[in-house]
Amino acid sequence: MSNEKYYVPHGTYWPIIGSIGVSTLFVGFANQMHDVSWGWPVMVLGFAIIAFMLFGWIGTVVSESVGGLYNSQVDKSFRWGMSWFIFSEVMFFAAFFGALLYARVLSVPWLGGEYNNIYSPELWEGFKSAWPLITTPGEVGQNGVTFSTNFKLVDTWGLPALNTGLLLTSGVTLTYAHHALRAGHRNALMAWMLATIALGVVFLGFQITEYGHAYHDGLKLTSGIYGSTFYLLTGFHGFHVTIGVIMLTVILYRIQKGHFNLENHFAFEGVAWYWHFVDVVWLGLFIFVYWI
Amino acid sequence: MDYFVIAIIVLIFFFLAAAVIGLLKGGREGSDKMFKALRMRIILSVFLFIFLLFANYIGWIEPNNFNLLPTQ
Repeated sequence: MSNEKYYVPHGTYWPIIGSIGVSTLFVGFANQMHDVSWGWPVMVLGFAIIAFMLFGWIGTVVSESVGGLYNSQVDKSFRWGMSWFIFSEVMFFAAFFGALLYARVLSVPWLGGEYNNIYSPELWEGFKSAWPLITTPGEVGQNGVTFSTNFKLVDTWGLPALNTGLLLTSGVTLTYAHHALRAGHRNALMAWMLATIALGVVFLGFQITEYGHAYHDGLKLTSGIYGSTFYLLTGFHGFHVTIGVIMLTVILYRIQKGHFNLENHFAFEGVAWYWHFVDVVWLGLFIFVYWI
Repeated sequence: MDYFVIAIIVLIFFFLAAAVIGLLKGGREGSDKMFKALRMRIILSVFLFIFLLFANYIGWIEPNNFNLLPTQ
């Protein structure tokens, strides 16, 4: 270990391509938010450049790893990098759950006069300090703001409960895949990975269907604090499941190529942890957003 | 009831964190630790989901009446 040299990466153009991709994405996003016609296509272009960068850069890293260029010091760097990424993901969702709980436990009761009993205004006709906050101001006529009204809540025991079962089952199949990898059972590993990916894809399909129903029933980003937090949390979770499915598919491809063995399968472990985390986040969403 | 559910959620996060420590450690020992922690994580999660379904079915838990989150 001590006689191994610190790995110095070679020169590469991927970081500048990533910078161009991220800049393009945010320029497109900012303009799309201002209803500029070219905002949306520029945003898509940004995503495409980032996807190109990710596949190219990760492809280079995989080639170097398979080519035996990495030593134990590089392995340790990867593990620390993944750990910091995990920390950032935990804080990302902690912030959104924090926003939900703050609105629900503190700000909505405050607006109803709870805790201080001093400030209890009639904010708008029909305002009721309760969660979910299903009464909105409607057409307020200021700055063109219009709130969605008379929306229905998503039925907890419909698609959300089914999706919870699906995602938890995918956690079980992934655990069986992990076991098969450690036991050297390649065919079982591939079968369990396929099952995990299929469950993730079905979850996403149901989530899109549920969004269609919710939107049709008037639940939108403009449905006050409930609609905002609902779409923020479930939307970012759905995005993470999408990324997770892509990563699991890449891992399945690498398994098929014979990139992993009993001792060396860090990439599988990193993606497995990510999927388990996304699973736990959904369990939290099911309990705190859809149910209680 | 609510403390029991919170305790299970805390345990799930504990095992997720233990898995990260295993991931960071690496090698055979770290890999074992990670696998066992993730296995406990999924066992507890499935248990919690089934328990919540059961508690809802027999009326132990009513939506928006959980005492965890005081709302008016």
